[in-house]
Amino acid sequence: MHMEKEELYTTAYMARLKLSETESEDLEKAVSRMLEYFEKMMEVDVENLEPTTHALLKDNRLRKDEITAKEQTSEKILKNAPELEDRFIVTPNVL
Amino acid sequence: MPEWDKILSNPEKFKKWKEAAVFLDKNIKCFLEFDPEKGIKLSGTGAPADRPETEPADKPLSGIPFAVKDNIAVKSFKLTCGSKILSNFVSPYTATAVTKLQNNGAVVIGKTNLDEFGMGSSTENSAFSPTHNPWDVKRVPGGSSGGSAAAVAAGLVPFALGSDTGGSIRQPASFCGVYGLKPTYGSVSRFGLVAYASSLEVIGIISKTVSMLKNVFNVMKGEDPLDHSSLPAEEKTPAGKTAKIGLPKELKSIELYPSVRKTLDSTIRNYKQMGYAISEISLPTLEYVVSAYYVIATAEASANLARFDGIRYGERDFSAENPEELMLSSRNRGFGKEVKLRILLGTYVLRSGFQEQYYLRAQKIRTAIRKDLQKAFESVDAVLLPVYPRPAFKPGSKEMDPFSQKLADIFTSTANLAGIPAVSFPAAVEEGLPVGMQLLAPPFAEKLLFSMCRDYEKVFPSPNPPDNYFNRSI
Repeated sequence: MHMEKEELYTTAYMARLKLSETESEDLEKAVSRMLEYFEKMMEVDVENLEPTTHALLKDNRLRKDEITAKEQTSEKILKNAPELEDRFIVTPNVL
Repeated sequence: MPEWDKILSNPEKFKKWKEAAVFLDKNIKCFLEFDPEKGIKLSGTGAPADRPETEPADKPLSGIPFAVKDNIAVKSFKLTCGSKILSNFVSPYTATAVTKLQNNGAVVIGKTNLDEFGMGSSTENSAFSPTHNPWDVKRVPGGSSGGSAAAVAAGLVPFALGSDTGGSIRQPASFCGVYGLKPTYGSVSRFGLVAYASSLEVIGIISKTVSMLKNVFNVMKGEDPLDHSSLPAEEKTPAGKTAKIGLPKELKSIELYPSVRKTLDSTIRNYKQMGYAISEISLPTLEYVVSAYYVIATAEASANLARFDGIRYGERDFSAENPEELMLSSRNRGFGKEVKLRILLGTYVLRSGFQEQYYLRAQKIRTAIRKDLQKAFESVDAVLLPVYPRPAFKPGSKEMDPFSQKLADIFTSTANLAGIPAVSFPAAVEEGLPVGMQLLAPPFAEKLLFSMCRDYEKVFPSPNPPDNYFNRSI
């Protein structure tokens, strides 16, 4: 299946990627080639098969809603922020 | 392994080893960060000079240096994932698997190169530099854990950690002539592993010997409250020398590079000679493995990589005038081409209207693949497969373009889809390059894989590349 440029840009926007002109040409080809290859899956009779999400899965496990971290990492996490004002992460204006 | 005895605690040995590692890495470029002193400090054993040489090695991995793929968190070390978007990220915490090794005396000495976020088979997709194969620096070391495999093959560390989503431990191990274990899904905690495809991936080991592979796995395994998909360690008793090996008949019609075909034949012969019974099995879904794998892996990747938005951490485009522009631009500048391709594919196959055709169908095929293997394991104890259809290739080669590299994941991604353990072991050196073979076993049967690899190791141990740490230190 070939992916048209418009479809590619729509998909890219959904994934929050802004592609350049040359990049989109390359990616259009590469994505289309993979989608064509995926067509092979149509040969398989999947009628009576349940989907597998995880190969080995135990039941859902819940824990108490409390802080379990053994050490304080908040300062170290903030150190990785691109821009800070006191302990707040700065972003461009939202409105 | 006596050669690693006191390598970090004896100042003379330490200096010699460190100098050799720095020198050899100039050609191989396996490390993104190399800082043994920092690792020693973190392990709480003090500076090399302060440590008494007589300190008893009471812990199973006491004083053993190891390297960690740079998508696994080690506190105070960077965690770049081979990506520009995380080029300055310093990890505030340590992965459970690494903590367990540190608690048993092992010391992190550096972080190794990889294909960006684990996406690739050659380590060419690293945003920083490609890694070169210690057997021939003009060839790729494989990937995505190429840095870890190259570091072990060059003799710089006795083992290294990697991650395996579709073959990322086993394929570079095969290209570099060392052992690579992809454990049972969930048997090793993924806490601290940067997520790519959560239902497929697992932290595993690349090592020079089978006994090291086994020791490290035994320390790392087990349920972790910080990873809800982790599972308690079960142990299956190996069948021993009476184990039956299954050989998929589909292999006859799949094109293999001559040296790989030759090695497959010699491996069968050797195992027969050791007393193993070989019988034919069938994996009819083998030809659909790659498509199912890439639909599922890219779908999960598109969701997992949504977190990199340039806002809370990572590289940011400061010229952006609003938050959306900031995200669009930071992601576009921060991700490489292969990562963008996989995010686009994954986003597309999950789009409304296409889900049934791609994602749901792939998940159903995944069930068929699991059933095929379950059926095979009713009559055999392990399945023998090549690791990769060819040995280490040259970067940028036309016959191994990114698309062909994906098709070549056919033998490795099977184990990830089924969640079963698989090991890559060195089986020959052909035309100057190592060739690995692969054994797959039912869930939690790692012990059987170790014993079968150990038997092969007696006949053919991990070969040394022409230039390595050991022939330098003699």
